[in-house]
Amino acid sequence: MHSHPTFPLKAAVFITAFLLTGLSAGSHAQTADTALPENRHTTHSTLFGIGRSSLYETYLSPVTYKGPHISALRESLRKTHWLEGRITTQSILDGFFSYASNQTQTGDEMAGKINYTVGWHYNWLLAGGQLRLMAGGELHGGLGLIYNNRNSNNPVQAKAEIDLGASLIAIYPFHIRKVPFTVRYQASFPLAGGIFSPNYGQSYYEMSLGNYDHNVCFVHPANAPSMRHFLTLDFPISSFTFRIGYLCDIRQSRVNNLRSHIWNHSFMIGYVKHFSFIKRKEPQHRSFVL
Amino acid sequence: MKRLIQLFLYLVLPAMLCYSCIREELPDNTPTNNFEQLWRIIDTQYCFHDYKTAQGCLPWNDVYNKYRPRINDGMTQDQLFEVLCDMLSELRDGHVNLYSASDVGRYWSWYEDYPKNFSADVQDFYLGTDYRIAAGIKYKILDDNIGYMYYESFSSAIGDGNLSEILDYFRLCNGLIVDVRNNSGGTLTYAERVAQRFTNEKRLVGYIAHKTGAGHNDFSSPEAEYIEPSDGIRWQKKAVVLTNRACYSATNTFVRDMRECPLVTIMGDRTGGGSGLPFSSELPNGWAVRFSACPMYDAAMNQIEFGIEPDTCVSMKKEDLARNKDTLIETAREFLKQ
Repeated sequence: MHSHPTFPLKAAVFITAFLLTGLSAGSHAQTADTALPENRHTTHSTLFGIGRSSLYETYLSPVTYKGPHISALRESLRKTHWLEGRITTQSILDGFFSYASNQTQTGDEMAGKINYTVGWHYNWLLAGGQLRLMAGGELHGGLGLIYNNRNSNNPVQAKAEIDLGASLIAIYPFHIRKVPFTVRYQASFPLAGGIFSPNYGQSYYEMSLGNYDHNVCFVHPANAPSMRHFLTLDFPISSFTFRIGYLCDIRQSRVNNLRSHIWNHSFMIGYVKHFSFIKRKEPQHRSFVL
Repeated sequence: MKRLIQLFLYLVLPAMLCYSCIREELPDNTPTNNFEQLWRIIDTQYCFHDYKTAQGCLPWNDVYNKYRPRINDGMTQDQLFEVLCDMLSELRDGHVNLYSASDVGRYWSWYEDYPKNFSADVQDFYLGTDYRIAAGIKYKILDDNIGYMYYESFSSAIGDGNLSEILDYFRLCNGLIVDVRNNSGGTLTYAERVAQRFTNEKRLVGYIAHKTGAGHNDFSSPEAEYIEPSDGIRWQKKAVVLTNRACYSATNTFVRDMRECPLVTIMGDRTGGGSGLPFSSELPNGWAVRFSACPMYDAAMNQIEFGIEPDTCVSMKKEDLARNKDTLIETAREFLKQ
């Protein structure tokens, strides 16, 4: 059986295509790139989420395990001095814990992973300064574990990865009845990196003896087609800013004759804090646009 | 800006459109598909195909032809389980099991078809009631000043501190009997931890390999396995390891390791074998399957899947059993007193 692009993946790709096409049209209509704020804003957000995981790891089982997960994400978005203030740095620390079962409810898997991502994005203001587009690169590292509760000498698969990728962010602030909202979409695509993987039938016992056998593999979109989509909406309640969002994290690999995926779909909710290096009086929620 | 968007549109987006989901390739849950999946798992991941064929087992492709006609989608789960277990028994491997919700398919002929050479009732006469227990090891000094320790399962954790205490207790003994009869295995680390007490230098004890692909001969280069001498108390006198056919898996590996130690003699019956490190997988209907995945060899690169011959063959005598005497223990005691 061959693998085909499926609906969520295709949809994500077309959403990105649509967005980019729209931005492309918008850029023609752009008259002047609005000057960027001089002070350096930092936005911190802390989100917690629940969702569904799909775990597929042929080192453990040829069967997909599905179940709920909890997740947390801490993000920092900060303008820098570089290129006249047009470079924004983003750092994201996130993690999840999942408890999943096979379709026949005869086996369970537990999975947990922590990721750290740092990215640098170039900024444009489009559509008369209403829409902010950021594009750039990011460095991502992740550590995790999948445990199958009924396996013998292959009960665990460790996850370790580091990669460089491309990232695109679109931020659009708007008002409804004078209440400020900000919608943001981010798509990230790892392009090249390395991951840890045991060889096809290699046991962790053998690895503990120091026997290396292609356990660090070079990955690229052909053998590890992964992506991450993050859609959020910021809104104020009283003097606080809250954020809700949907996070789609797709991590896949096909190395050493082993196939793997971790698909996480999360509904996130949390709060946002804005900081500025230069104190000045300004509207409470203006920094939505960074 | 236009260039950047063009870059995304013409380079990144086409690359993204090539993205495909890596997903499960399992067929639907039908008896036929479960049979096919089980056959395929063993075909691609089992590590002893060629060796087993050379030892007289039916080649795996012939196994398919033999059992496929017995499968149809109208059969019950019990019938399917019976056929699949029959198919797996062709491998003659104690590490191969099929787990349904109601039963465990197994091949235990590696010890059921042979003399037991062990009696727990008779052993009780040697241990009495005042024996010591450290972690999973029962031990006692016998009347003729021979130390006796019985390790029933390598699944019972043993620490270096336990072993030092045991060997210190035996320090004035003339010899030591390490009885691992009926020990059907467990954790290799514990087996190695015990063996490290019987060598004063790093010793080559065997090799280990693993499969690198689905082909029957897709193996990595065998890597040497060594045991390092323990930093704790090490045994410096003669020792005997008692074995029978129920010594399997990690115990088979333990006997392999002990055989390389200079003052150690293996005594009793051939071990049961089980030199393939077992992995697990599962079928569309949720049944789990266990199978040998990583072959382990002895120091001369010989297969030990079907067991290890002892240095001295000793069998239990009926007349000894009638007198509540264990022929193997008695022979070991005589040997150690020489």
